[in-house]
Amino acid sequence: MGLELILALITGAALFGVGIYGALSQTNLVMIMMGVELILAGAMVNLVAFWRYLHPDNPAGQMFVLIIMTVMAIEMAVGFGVAIARFRAKGSVEMEEAVELKG
Amino acid sequence: MWEQLSGQMFFIGFFGLAAVWFGIVVFRTYSMVRSALALLFSQTALGAMFLSMQAEFLGVLQIMMMATEMSIMAIFMVMFMMDPGGLGKMEMTHQKRLSLGAGFVSFITAVVVAVFVDWGPVVSLAPDAGQQTVDLGLELLGRSMLIFETAGITILTAMIAATAVAIKPISRSNKHGS
Repeated sequence: MGLELILALITGAALFGVGIYGALSQTNLVMIMMGVELILAGAMVNLVAFWRYLHPDNPAGQMFVLIIMTVMAIEMAVGFGVAIARFRAKGSVEMEEAVELKG
Repeated sequence: MWEQLSGQMFFIGFFGLAAVWFGIVVFRTYSMVRSALALLFSQTALGAMFLSMQAEFLGVLQIMMMATEMSIMAIFMVMFMMDPGGLGKMEMTHQKRLSLGAGFVSFITAVVVAVFVDWGPVVSLAPDAGQQTVDLGLELLGRSMLIFETAGITILTAMIAATAVAIKPISRSNKHGS
């Protein structure tokens, strides 16, 4: 049984790693958001695995997954809002062109 | 009992592998529409993995939510990308070596923690789907109500703020109809 937990945690780790790669390597805002989605998905797998294999009688674990899903939806809403504003102002959502944001 | 556990392990592994594979495909294809679809398949495989782990409510919720979310993402991809079909094979990455290194190091670190930490005794039985939903409902409307309400208000605020940022600013001349 412990093997299922390890398997799920390794899946979460892999999604997290792929998400980190995507968020750091992509130049397009929407693609960066996709990387962040994968990072959050990795966290979500870990939470479900911890709930199922360590504390299945405590629904707080599932509640945390709902919070992560909310964070994903918020990230999408705000990200697309920013993307539309940026596209309207500059005609592109390429982050390499957003040099004016550099401190 | 043993056969049931092996089946669960197989499906967790299979859907986990599918989720990671489609996650990799997101950043490997030149077509942005394919990227969005790959992310949709990755999230759906994750939902199937939740179902394999007997988290029925979360599994179904994940599949439903991500199907909508990723469809919207695909539409935005077509709207914003210079080459949504990927026919021009445009390079849209930077600092590739650093990103690969950071992703690999974070993966290895998380795997080491997952394998070598003693997580304590593993519970073999989970409550059935109906009981889980009842427990989650009582949790959300009882002990965790404040967190749940805060999440609801935050998402409402984010939606209003995103709409406010996205709408076209009305110029003074248009406002007065001149």
